Amino acid sequence: MNERERLLKRIAAIDFAMIELHLYMDSHPNDKEAAAKTDEYAVKSRALRKEFEDKYGPLTSMQMEANRWAWISDPWPWDNEEEG
Amino acid sequence: MWIYEKRLEYPVKISKPNAQLAKVIITQYGGPDGELGASLRYLSQRYSMPYPELKAILTDIGTEELAHLEMIGAIVHQLTKDLTMDEIKKGGFDAYFVDHTTGVYPSAANGTPYNAFSMAVKGDVITDIHEDMAAEQKARTTYDNILRFTDDPDVKDAIRFLREREVVHYQRFGEGLRIATDKLDSKNFYAFNPEFDRNCKNK
Repeated sequence: MNERERLLKRIAAIDFAMIELHLYMDSHPNDKEAAAKTDEYAVKSRALRKEFEDKYGPLTSMQMEANRWAWISDPWPWDNEEEG
Repeated sequence: MWIYEKRLEYPVKISKPNAQLAKVIITQYGGPDGELGASLRYLSQRYSMPYPELKAILTDIGTEELAHLEMIGAIVHQLTKDLTMDEIKKGGFDAYFVDHTTGVYPSAANGTPYNAFSMAVKGDVITDIHEDMAAEQKARTTYDNILRFTDDPDVKDAIRFLREREVVHYQRFGEGLRIATDKLDSKNFYAFNPEFDRNCKNK
């Protein structure tokens, strides 16, 4: 696993926690503990995303100031990168 | 609308190609209990759904299923990349190969193309949520069956993640069903269909 993959994996872990909490709150909208946890993870997610995007390019198509070349560059999510 | 994120929900990194495995896993791309049908089912059921919690659950789970569809696509792609003609023949991948080469096409394990008859939108809360709960269990069984075919830790890791999501979604739909029945006539849940009989709401 290279540095890029390691960082992406950390983002996936934090964002998965957020997806799970978000879905849980669809049926438990008044759960304050879940809401507080989501806010906590959101701060971590923002920091990791900024670090990733500064180094490797945009994660979403909505980044106006994004590096256009980095968006179209490999690897795409389904690519199996070489170790390095 | 949707915004694309250039990453997978959970990483997929398979080092060993395996045509035989790709041939069964493709069913979760376009088969009867696959992720394409799951996404289409939930995202279509939402429009006539009367309760806000259920609109949210269907939207959020339907969206997550699109991320799962992408993971299955990545698994099939990585399992079929760099296959030799010999491996294709030995793995029984020849019938798929002749029509699609190593492209990813939505079909069931037996080759049947994706068919919307594998899902339902009945326009009735109780009926549709029961369909959704059954669908999650059917997908869970399919993932359990897929796990019987492989010892490859790279494949098992991603498939186990997807299997676990079926269990969680089943739980959320179960809570959604409870939320819906709480709003209906407790003496007869079927007295009216809240997706159609708008003037007969109990609460």
